[in-house]
Amino acid sequence: MAAIELTNVTKVYGKGDAAVNALKGINFKAEKGEVVLIMGPSGAGKSTMLTIVGSLQKATSGKIVVDGQDISNLSNKETNSLRLNKIGFVLQAYNLVPYLTVADQFKLVDKVKKQGNLSQAELAKLLKQLGVDKLTKKYPGELSGGQQQRVSIARALYADPTFLLADEPTASLDSANVAEVGKLFQNLARSRDKAIILVTHDERLKQYADHIYQMLDGQLTKEK
Amino acid sequence: MFLALKEIKHEKLRYGLIVLIIFLISYLIFMLSSLAIGLASENTQALESWQAKSVILNQNANLSMNQSVLTKNDLKNLDLTKHDAYVGQTATVAKKSGRPSLSAQFLGIKKSEFIYKDLELTSGRKAKTNHEVVVDQAFQQRGYKLGDKITLSGTKGKYKIVGFVKNAKINIAPIIYGSLATWKKLHVTAPNVVASGVVSQKSLSYKHKNAKTYDIKHFINKLPGYTAQNMTFEMMIGFLFVISLIVVAVFLYILTMQKLNNFAVMRAQGIPSRTLVGATMIQSLILMVLGVALGLIMMTITMAAMPPVVPMAFTPAIMLAGSVGMLLMGLIGSLIPVRSILKVDPVSAIGA
Repeated sequence: MAAIELTNVTKVYGKGDAAVNALKGINFKAEKGEVVLIMGPSGAGKSTMLTIVGSLQKATSGKIVVDGQDISNLSNKETNSLRLNKIGFVLQAYNLVPYLTVADQFKLVDKVKKQGNLSQAELAKLLKQLGVDKLTKKYPGELSGGQQQRVSIARALYADPTFLLADEPTASLDSANVAEVGKLFQNLARSRDKAIILVTHDERLKQYADHIYQMLDGQLTKEK
Repeated sequence: MFLALKEIKHEKLRYGLIVLIIFLISYLIFMLSSLAIGLASENTQALESWQAKSVILNQNANLSMNQSVLTKNDLKNLDLTKHDAYVGQTATVAKKSGRPSLSAQFLGIKKSEFIYKDLELTSGRKAKTNHEVVVDQAFQQRGYKLGDKITLSGTKGKYKIVGFVKNAKINIAPIIYGSLATWKKLHVTAPNVVASGVVSQKSLSYKHKNAKTYDIKHFINKLPGYTAQNMTFEMMIGFLFVISLIVVAVFLYILTMQKLNNFAVMRAQGIPSRTLVGATMIQSLILMVLGVALGLIMMTITMAAMPPVVPMAFTPAIMLAGSVGMLLMGLIGSLIPVRSILKVDPVSAIGA
């Protein structure tokens, strides 16, 4: 069963003459254990696709299935619950709550999602795997950009989601760090059986992807 | 609670400053309320201690007992009961060498009537002769002692203080309780004058062409300056509540605006808006509770340090009303940023 599957999804902003077709009937699939790249130039529709895959806004038409469940017509409350339980976000900025320590970022998840999160032992293992296990008492402002990103990944995985959605995860990294992050995502996808979807401009990530999609003018084509 | 406490802990200076402002406002509210109640009480202490419900005055006296005189004829149809008492009131100045002069209200009363009988002495005894008086504790606070012989403006005689009473003030002046005979000396009147008025613990309805019965609330509201003074305080206190509402609303609104990006990310991550709204409202309550608690502590210290001559009454009712009022203002103030939180679009976390 695919972690997420989009069939003939469209997104139209505005009405009449002012209507903009941001997504023109796209088809997309990501399986658990895979790293999938969505690439394309700015304005191609990547961010729109990210918001629809992430259940942050509704598609105009088409079918979206997450973990076997059709989510195309869920209520706001249900999509909220879906994001909390099935989707892990790693965003470009403001990922972490600035006034919570690293440990508290996970406690916040516990406060709103009482069941199904990683155990403390699993969390400790994950933090070690990501190399941030010594930073649990630090605030985000005391961490480097790379450390913040790793904590964000841990926070996204803590709720044990079906897939992880990362927006430009290597935007400010040099080549060595890109390779490290690419390997990390590959490793996390395999070891934790998660679909990891990376929305990126960065060609350097291609070698770590199982599948690559190219977005251009609202149309998605599979490259690999 | 979790998010609210964590943020306050992390942003100590920022939230400390808000608490400081709330503390200062609540302190000012407690201070003004205590002064308002204290001053109001000094107008009415005696009337309250008598448990008066109505008063008969000369109807041309403009509801002023000082200006009122009632003759035997004016009261000829009044059947006096144990709940009614004659009172002769006049303003006077008490003097004794070596003691400060005191402006006071002399009240002439009868031994056989309830005011005399119910006097609550803090020391000494009740006056037995026309040359003995019982005075308010304000005299004691200014150095007067039992046995002191005072002169009263308007007479040549001396009057011995034989007792002190508490809660004996009227028109913001301490009372000197003496006899009606002494009052007649101080307040030169026609021979047939009986008293300034009749105070009753019952709601009387006595009527005569020269005398009229007034409800005690009406009488109190017509005490010189009483209503104007209370309204001034009420306006100041009301404005302070409004200011506290604005301060809380503005502070929380600015803080919320600064956190909208964080809120958008949290909403994107599936954190329900009720958690964020709850955190903001609890934060507002915590700030108000801290500010008001500091205000209460500071006010208690102030009351302990304040000399007794300052007419302040920091009563449990003021504590409760002021605290609940401030908490309500905090809750209402937090509703303005709540609207912004509910409007946060999680899509903005992506920047699409």
